[in-house]
Amino acid sequence: HVRYRMEASCLELALEGERLCKAGDCRAGVSFFEAAVQVGTEDLKTLSAIYSQLGNAYFYLHEYTKALEYHHHDLTLARTIGDQLGEAKASGNLGNTLKILGNYEEAIVCCQRHLDISRDLSDKVGEARALYNLGNVYHSKGKSVACAGTHDPGEFPEDVKAALRKAADYYEENLTIVTELGDRAAQGRAYGNLGNTHYLLGNFRSAVIAHEQRLLIAKEFGDRAAERRAYSNLGNAYIFLGEFETAAEYYKKTLQLARQLTDRAVEAQACYSLGNTYTLLQDYEKAIDYHLKHLAIAEELNDRIGEGRACWSLGNAYTALGNHDQALHYAEKHLDISREVGDKTGELTAKLNLSDLQMVLGLSFSTNNSMTENHIPDNGLNGTRPRAGRRHSMENMELMKLTPEKVQDWN
Amino acid sequence: SSSNQQVTELQTKVVPSKQILHSDNMEMEPETMETKSVTEYFSKLHMGSAVYSCTTKRKSK
Repeated sequence: HVRYRMEASCLELALEGERLCKAGDCRAGVSFFEAAVQVGTEDLKTLSAIYSQLGNAYFYLHEYTKALEYHHHDLTLARTIGDQLGEAKASGNLGNTLKILGNYEEAIVCCQRHLDISRDLSDKVGEARALYNLGNVYHSKGKSVACAGTHDPGEFPEDVKAALRKAADYYEENLTIVTELGDRAAQGRAYGNLGNTHYLLGNFRSAVIAHEQRLLIAKEFGDRAAERRAYSNLGNAYIFLGEFETAAEYYKKTLQLARQLTDRAVEAQACYSLGNTYTLLQDYEKAIDYHLKHLAIAEELNDRIGEGRACWSLGNAYTALGNHDQALHYAEKHLDISREVGDKTGELTAKLNLSDLQMVLGLSFSTNNSMTENHIPDNGLNGTRPRAGRRHSMENMELMKLTPEKVQDWN
Repeated sequence: SSSNQQVTELQTKVVPSKQILHSDNMEMEPETMETKSVTEYFSKLHMGSAVYSCTTKRKSK
């Protein structure tokens, strides 16, 4: 009788946890699941479901160490009771969690296990999901190395490219199955991540094709968050195709949706992208307009790194317009923020920019005199635009790197 | 001059193009987690017993 009451209580608590998680309140759901574990049950399949849901709840709460712990318990239990489908699911969840924690090799093993069992069980849905997860692990693995360096997309070392190519292969395999299954939502996800993988590989045309598909599916579902993601990714790809006007149009759509969805951080990001795009289009007034909007939101959100970036960009744009007083103001702000956030690179850049500007303005130079002698000559691309030394030369270098001829080599 | 070159190189290294352009974040799609459910298991159990009781009833007839 006591055991019966205990089992019932465990189940009740777990059901309430499930209800709360489904309603989006993972924090409260976790409390009920943990209470259910405390009460305990002899039904190991119920316990496995509780562990799995606890793992997922912690995953959504970004508490990945806890998520790892519970998915591991679930895996052990599923194996113990010989529940193959349960083992496949636990392996997949463990793999996703290990990926977030940066443990890519173990993540691959787990996701591969998910794939193998799904194939053994002729579970097509499971197989497709495992392929998507494997694609994600290889994408993250490639990106983790790629983003640590200072390379442009398409210019990564061979091991990074190998991981990214594997990711693309898994997404393609996944797409074949989910297309057969007619699962449009899954197709949307695969196209989005495939597009981003092509982007990193420097296959910008293929990236555009994939993101256009993603956009189409997002519109079918009326999924505005996914639609916004697709616009943003399309903008990024068009930048590297050297088609800045098209990129600007997509970033504007991103901005519009970000405002509709009242996501201030995303709105700031879109403004920043637009500022950069108009810099590439050499329309510095518009660039300043968007960078100022970005700066205002960064200040509002107390995003000091974003503020520093905005000041740096504004300094560049004002320099390009020959407004050296404003440029100096933002270079000084950039220096202060770089020091505050401990950004050594930013600090050095800001100092160099300040020294240039102070010289242009004929101010006395106090921080590092040895650097003022080294004014780099204009490389000729500036035309009639004002000369402002290093910073400007750098900007032209970036523009040269992005001419369509160069981009053609990448594709 | 060599100091001039030094500064040029330094500048090239410290201001990667990433800083100009790649702040545009890549927007990834969400992860898909596998789900297990007590409700589902419970209803299956319940259905199982219902099916059982039906067949036994039929057999007993």
